[in-house]
Amino acid sequence: MEPTAYFELNFKPNIALVTVVRRFVSEFYQRFLSDPDGTSRLALATHELLENAVRYSKDGESTIRIDVEDGKPKTVRIVLRNRATQPNIGAIREILDGVAAAPDPTTFYQQLMVKRAGHRSGSGLGLARICAEGEMALTYTVEDNDLVTISAVTSIGERS
Amino acid sequence: MSEIVTVNGDDFAGSGRLDGLTINVSLKGNADYSALDAVEMLLTRAHAEAQRAGTKETVVDLRQLEFMNSSCFQSFVAWINDINELAEGQRYKVKFLSNPNLHWQKRSLHSLRSFAVELVTIVETQ
Repeated sequence: MEPTAYFELNFKPNIALVTVVRRFVSEFYQRFLSDPDGTSRLALATHELLENAVRYSKDGESTIRIDVEDGKPKTVRIVLRNRATQPNIGAIREILDGVAAAPDPTTFYQQLMVKRAGHRSGSGLGLARICAEGEMALTYTVEDNDLVTISAVTSIGERS
Repeated sequence: MSEIVTVNGDDFAGSGRLDGLTINVSLKGNADYSALDAVEMLLTRAHAEAQRAGTKETVVDLRQLEFMNSSCFQSFVAWINDINELAEGQRYKVKFLSNPNLHWQKRSLHSLRSFAVELVTIVETQ
């Protein structure tokens, strides 16, 4: 289905930009989605994806694209693409393959919180948080050894 | 009431105060990656003072906290874990004051409560 609204941003990795972009996309979500809780979920997912990309990008730019597809419910897709370090690619695989193999995202997230409870640096919770608290389905691909694309999809609003 | 710690960043502010046997912690603004060191300091100082003063409850006011990223959230997980690892008589409760209009708070605080249901309570209030 063709999106009824979308935008795409290319940006040079800069941690200070993450909050700026989150606030901007929150306005976008509020404009197209009459669902404050859904808007909050999407803002959380956008922030965590961006921060992950900025902190672990090898170099060059990150690209974020957000599509809103009309319907009841609406479908929102966030796609983030960047060249990532190999340790980050390994971490993405570990988390998202773990979520896929778990009974449900919340169970995985709770187990990860217990596992990470003694750590004070590098949370490792961001992607699992998107799945559990953000209620978004995450998939990923890796091309050319380091080009990572993460897609986060959710439904927003009433079902017909 | 005595001040334990105050932290300020460009877009984040936090404080901790001892009031009798209760510690009141407040976070305002945007707890993103740039606020991580401040959040960590806030919770570390509050935890140390709680043990020194024999605190029974710490109240954490998030009602003016626009957002918290997963790194700062991890600091809360680690703090709750530290409380849980204290001897039974030294443990103290944590009460979060949350803003129902900031929807992420309900979800994130539910996750924290699930992590330590005996220690964490949540009160929604404007």
